Formats: sequence, structure tokens, C-alpha cells
Amino acid sequence: MIEIKGFLETSFLDWPGKLCSVFFLPYCNFRCPYCHNHPLVFNPEQYVTIPLEDILTRLHSLRNWIDGVCLTGGEPTLHADLPLLIREIKRHRFLVKLDTNGSNPQMLENLIETGEIDFVSMDVKAPLDPFRYSRSTGLPINLKPISESIEILKRGKVEYEFRMTVVPGLHREEDIQTLGDQLRVGRRFVLQNFNPENPLDPLLKNSVPYDLKVLKKIEKEVQEIL
Amino acid sequence: MATVIDIKGDHQEFKEEVETTDMALFVRTSDEAMLGWDRQRIVDALIRETYVDFDTAKEIAREVEDLIATSKIKMITAPLIRELVDTKLVERGLEQARKMHTRLGMPLYDVDQLILHPNKENANVPHGPEATNLTLAERIKKEYALLSVFSQEIADAHMRGDIHLHDLGFIDRPYCSGQSLEYIKRFGLSLPNSIAMAKPAKHPEVLLAHMVKFAAALQSHFAGAIGWDSINLFFAPYLVGMSDQELEQLAQMMIFEFSQQAVARGGQAIFTDLNLYWEIPKHFENVPAIGPGGEFTGKTYSDYLEESQRFAKALFDIYQEGDGSGRPFFFPKPLVHITEKFFKTPGHMDFLYHICDVASEKGNTYFVFDRGETAKISECCRLSFKLDQTDLEDAKQPWKMRYCALQNVTLNLPRIAYLAKGEDSKLFSKIAEFVQMAVKAHLEKKLFIEKLLSLGEKGPLALLAMERDGSPYLRMHRASFLVGMVGLNELVQIHTGQEMHQSKQAFKFGLKVIAHMKLLVDKFSQRYGMRFVLEQTPAESTAYRFAKLDLKFHSPKSGHIVKGDLSKGEVYYTNSTYLNNSAVLNPIERVRQEGLFHPLIEAGALTHIWLGEARPLKSSLANFVIKTFQLTQNDQVAFSPEFTTCNRCYRTSRGLRSSCVYCGSEDVDGITRITGYFTKVSSWNKGKIGELRNRYRNQTFLKEKEEGMALES
Repeated sequence: MIEIKGFLETSFLDWPGKLCSVFFLPYCNFRCPYCHNHPLVFNPEQYVTIPLEDILTRLHSLRNWIDGVCLTGGEPTLHADLPLLIREIKRHRFLVKLDTNGSNPQMLENLIETGEIDFVSMDVKAPLDPFRYSRSTGLPINLKPISESIEILKRGKVEYEFRMTVVPGLHREEDIQTLGDQLRVGRRFVLQNFNPENPLDPLLKNSVPYDLKVLKKIEKEVQEIL
Repeated sequence: MATVIDIKGDHQEFKEEVETTDMALFVRTSDEAMLGWDRQRIVDALIRETYVDFDTAKEIAREVEDLIATSKIKMITAPLIRELVDTKLVERGLEQARKMHTRLGMPLYDVDQLILHPNKENANVPHGPEATNLTLAERIKKEYALLSVFSQEIADAHMRGDIHLHDLGFIDRPYCSGQSLEYIKRFGLSLPNSIAMAKPAKHPEVLLAHMVKFAAALQSHFAGAIGWDSINLFFAPYLVGMSDQELEQLAQMMIFEFSQQAVARGGQAIFTDLNLYWEIPKHFENVPAIGPGGEFTGKTYSDYLEESQRFAKALFDIYQEGDGSGRPFFFPKPLVHITEKFFKTPGHMDFLYHICDVASEKGNTYFVFDRGETAKISECCRLSFKLDQTDLEDAKQPWKMRYCALQNVTLNLPRIAYLAKGEDSKLFSKIAEFVQMAVKAHLEKKLFIEKLLSLGEKGPLALLAMERDGSPYLRMHRASFLVGMVGLNELVQIHTGQEMHQSKQAFKFGLKVIAHMKLLVDKFSQRYGMRFVLEQTPAESTAYRFAKLDLKFHSPKSGHIVKGDLSKGEVYYTNSTYLNNSAVLNPIERVRQEGLFHPLIEAGALTHIWLGEARPLKSSLANFVIKTFQLTQNDQVAFSPEFTTCNRCYRTSRGLRSSCVYCGSEDVDGITRITGYFTKVSSWNKGKIGELRNRYRNQTFLKEKEEGMALES
């Protein structure tokens, strides 16, 4: 079974409108320079695995409050037995949200088709061209599965959003516009500000995040693209 | 004044005094004069101020004169003479006379320190000439209170740290208050002793000006918060026909006026609470509305729902923006009442999202939960008044709805546990003893305030004695007397060996203690016909003071109990009935468990959710707020984000950092909630800094394996 390496009982910021718990799953196939969960990506062995039963017992005592569980990472879809974990959570009657980078469209499609996930948040890293996407993820990237995942979500069989972490130096305002134009999902495209605290690439520590007001304004503009 | 050589004491007599020794000595008096030596002055002061007989007084005067003559002192001051006289009183065992003859004041060194360094007892006071004036005055009034207003038993209990008498420097004022805007709408701004009298306002801007000035006047008569009931509703009749833009302008004026108002109390902001409702509160539905010119509009408040809601929205638009550099406004604090009717009033979800957005972004919003039929108005950091039947009757004439708490006395709960040495019966009898001390302190203060009030509009509390509506502004018979507590968590820890979050038994024991206290204050209320109520003391400095005193008196045990960092001196006790600040408790557990205490704490309670850097989604916060209303007994919740504001580029970012994320400058200030309000972290006392370091900010549980284990797997 997948090892759960981190657990947040109550999150106000991972699932719009819901109170959820967050499970952090290890390993990732991307190397985004601005990643702030990188210890979980490189050295998950250094963390204690939290037994699922313990977590579920906790969740039961929060029954009326917690609407669901958000699975994040790392990249959850790297684990072939992710569907088993999801089924176990569902068996306890909690909703499930999946955070993914979209690199495993098959698993994503299966989970959606079987109605096992209730919300998907897909991280989009840059405009959909190989050069810029690779630069933002720190690895040569095949865009095909990414685009496939986007298409799967846009069929609308499950609630979804596309999230982009905006990093100055990596993303110009036009890049956000371009991506918004490629996605055309209106308010389902949301922007997050980059956090310079402890990024994977230490050089980014010195880069200055966008002014929040400016970012909000850009977000408003790109959300008007349908 | 307390000068031995008193120039008011008829100069003529001084010259004619034949007996005076011919000493070529001049005395610096406290009235800024140099007078020739006159022994008779000592005699006069002793006779005037004490019960010492004439012969003794003369004897003392002569002895002091000899002492000065033989000592060859070059410059002699009135305070020195007074101290010399006091030693003579002590030598004679005249303890009572010495107390009566004593001089209040401060050492030169302390004054020097005070003028040069900021005051950290109350982070709401800036450092400046006006503020040091205030502190100096407070110091003297504090000494006066401890010597002259309170009995020795109570004063000693305060000095020992068994109890804490709050705001002793404001001994001649009540503690905090709840106001009704209707009073100035109806009677205009006509204050005793003021030069001009203003008739009731005709325009909203003028009403606001009246409100601000009245608030400033009130603030100089109360030690703590000035709360305003249903402010958006009471403004509503003035807002009919205003455009969105005009409304926004008015909202902006209101918030900036109160946030920058620094005339009262030496540059300290007026501690202002704005109570806001989305609905028309039930008790105001059929109340005739007062409009421009103080006239009844012929409608009831139900007819002003739209204006009232628009104004509430406009206020939150301003909170969302923050001040000129994007920081949250520290004052006025907006308290939104969440009631059954709130959820039945159309548009409530949009409004809830709006105020949750502000809570997430800036942290300003306080969510006050009034379940069932209770109606409340909230004041100070967490003080609120529940409205009973008489109040609901008053609500028909809302200008009558003026409340106050006369004083706040806080018990040092951990001290009780040290003294009880693990015995239950001793613990509970000690609690009763401490509560009784608090009650006695209240009786003494009440007597003093009543004395001042009895002087009426000619006395020092003229504003509170004015009778514009037939009864005095301060309604003494409606006053509350607060009994607060610090360190329930540590009491439980000392007594049972576990902190409240560590086991169910420990938590239950905590509940039992507070229930016992509630029972006691109810008993005393009956006995004295006064309202003694439990309160969660904000204890901004008391939690630090008690911890420091217990480290002195109950060492070594206390060394294991106080929270914070001993080596840095950043020590504190957990506030009121709170669970350990650093306990890994998710916000749900916190509102649920802390909420179990709230029904026992009648004067109001609050749970803090420390957000740290995280910026929650408004919709998820709204979800949490609704569930807190439905599933808990929690009275009030506030979410506290943290900010770093830059003094070089004037921009504000999220989280507490050592340098500005935008320009890299290290000239930054951290901002977050200290107790019931936001301030700059640099102004906090050491105890609060210790707490800040410990606050659990809903972080993810990630546990590193012990060394060596990583290799095995």
C-alpha cells in the first residue's frame, strides 16, 4: 500500500468550499525548481509513515466537520495502488480530491470513469509548449499526456480546476495569458503566488514574488477567457 | 499637592514665623519655587495630612531640622524632607501616619528609562512624549489606587500576584463599555464642560464626526474598549438614497477616523468595536427609527434593511483593501453577529463569503455566534454583554442601551494549584478564597467610582453622570464586574500532571474548575445584588507577570510549568481557559473543545485560529464558520494571519519574515494579533513573544525518523 508521509487534519485551502484533510504521498516525476515539498520528493524515507488506520480513526472523530480528503504529493498518480487507497477512503464515506500534474491520464480517466474521485486539481506549469513546460518542470517533458489530462478534465465528468504557480523570472504575464488562452476554462483557471521560502532551486530564494494585487488582476483577466 | 513647603499656605505667615531657625537654606518645592527653610511647614503638613498630634509633629519637625543642619546638604528638595519626616514617623511606630504622609512618584532613573524606551505593557500605546505623560500619570494613579482605593489585603494580593487588578493606572474610570449611536443621534453632541453644543446631526458625515468625538470623550473616561452596537443599522436612516461611491467614501472615513484617531490616551488608538448585523436584529425590528436631525422617521428599523446591508458591505470592502500600504487596519474591529436569523436573511451567503474573504486576507473579521434567542453586544477584546429581559425592554428606546464593566480582576490559577499541593479539597477552597478576593476588590472599586459619580456633572466623571435622557449616562445598576482567569491549563497541569489537551480527564477537570468558579460568582452576585461574571481576560501582560512572579515564589516547580523560553525570559501562562498554544490541535478540535468553556464564561469568550502564512479559501472558511455555529457552543472565533510590512518600500507580504520579500530590506515589522487586536510584533512584551514562537499554525504533520532509522528502510 502507498505510504502516507504527511497528514494535515484540517485544511481551509485545498478544496474550494470544503473542509478537508490532506494526505501527502511521496515521490514525484517532475523537478519544478520552485517546488517547496521537495524533501517529500527526494527523501521521503526520512519521514515516518503514518498508518492509514490511525488516520481514519482520527477522521472519524471529525466526521461532521471534514467533508473529504485531498490527496497530494509528490505526485499521487505515480503509485499504481492509488485507486486502492481512494477506495478505502470512500469506504469510510469521505469525498476525495486528487492533486495531480496530469502526467498519468490513464489513471486519471479510470478514476473519473469509475466515479471514485470528486474533485481534481491539476497543476499546469507553463504555456503548453515543450520548451517552456520543460523549463518550468526542470525535466524534458512529453506534453502529450499533459494535454490528454487537460482534455479528460474538460469533458466535465468531475469537478476540476487548473492551478498555476506563478514564479517571476519563469513566467511572464504573457505566458499566463497564453496558457489561459490554451485552456479556455474561465474561472476554473486559478493562480497561486510563488513562495520563496525553501524552494528546490535555492537561486529562486532571491526572486521577488508578484505583487498580490497585480496577480489578482491578471487572474481576473485570464478567467474571462472562455 | 503633597509639598511640605507649601506656597499656597499663605506666604505672609511664613515671614512672620518667629520660631524658625535662621538656616541659610533654600528648598525646592514641588510647585516650582525656591523657599527659605521653615520648620513650621513640616508641622502643618503632618497636622493636615495625618492624625499625628501637635506636639509629636513639632518634635519631628525639630529632629528633621537638626538632621539637615548637621548633614550640610547643599540642595534640599521637598520630597527629601518628606522622606526624612517619614523615617521619623517609622521610628515612632506611626505606621498609619507614615502611609498617609507618603509621597507618590518615580525614581529619576525610571523616568529616564521611560522617556527613552517604549512601554511594552500595552502594545496599543505608541512611544512618544504624550505616551510617556500617560505612563507617568498611570504610575502615580496606580500607586494611589494600591494605597488609597484598595484595602491592604487586596493591594498585597495584587502585588504578590495572587490576583491582578487591571488598569490600576485608570483607577478613576470604569473598565470598558458598550454604546448606542442612538444617544448622539437623539441628543446631539452636548458634553458637560465642552465649549460648544451640537444639535443632532442632519448628515451622515456629521453623525460620523459626532461619533468619533464622542468616542474620544468616552475613551478618556474608560480604561478599555468602546463598543458600538448595530452600527450599520443605526447609520442606515441617514444613508437613504446614497450612491455606492458615497457609501464607500463614508465607510472609508469611518475606518480611517477610528484607525488613525490618536488624540485620546497619549496617542493610543481608541479601542473601538463595531458590531455589525446582516439582518435586522430581532429586538430592533419594530423599533421606531431615528433619522436626520434626531427626528423619528416614521418608519421602523425593518424598513432600513437595504441601507444597513449596503453599509456593512461597504465597510468590509474597505477592510479588504487595508490601509495605505495594504496592512490590516488594527482598529476599529468589526464583529459580525452570526444568528439564526442571519441564515434566514437573503444574501447571507454572499455576505458570509465576503467577510470570510476579509478574514482570510486581512484577519479583521470576528465571528460572534448568538445561538437561539440570545442577543449580545460585544465590547473589549472579548467582553460581551448578553441582553436580558430588561435590556430587550430598553431596546425599544435604544439610546438607553449603554453598558459597562466597572473593573476586571484576574485570578492567577496556577498559583492556586501550587498552593493546593495536589489536594482537591484544598484546591477548590483556594479557588473560593481567590474569587472572594476578586469580589472584595470589586466592592472597593465600586465604592470609589460611586464617590466620584456622586459629585455629578461638577465632578471628575461629569460625562458619565450627565442626564440627557433622565438617567445618568453610566447606568451603574447595569454594570458588570469581571472575574477573569489566567492559566487554567497550567492549573490542571500542576494538579493532575497533564495539560488539558493531553487527556480527557485533564480536560474535564479544567471544566470542573471553571464550573466551580461560575457557581461562586453567581452566589456572590446574589449576595451583593451585583453582576459578577466570568471573563476570558485578554491578559496581554498579566500572563507574563504571573509567570514571572511564580518563577520567583514557586520555584523550582514553576520552572517546569511556565510556557515559553526560560533562558530568554520569554515566559507566560496560557491565557484564560485556552488549550496550550503549541498543542498540535486542528482548528476543529480547538473551536470544539475551547467552546465547551464558553457557556460558562458569560462575559464572552473567543477562540483564536492562528493561520500563519496560509491564506484559506473564503468558501472553506465559510463552511467552517457555519459548522462552528451549528455543531459547537463556541461564542466567538477569529482567524489570525501574519504579515511582514516593510518600512522601506511600504509593501506588505504574508507571513512573519526577517526581511522584505519585495525589496529585501531588513527594516521590517511583523504584524499579527496579540490578544484581541492586531499590532506590530516589535511592541510585544517578552511573554507574548514567547507565545508567538509557540503558536501552532495548523502545520502539516511530518515526522522525521530518528537518526539511523532512515538507513534501515
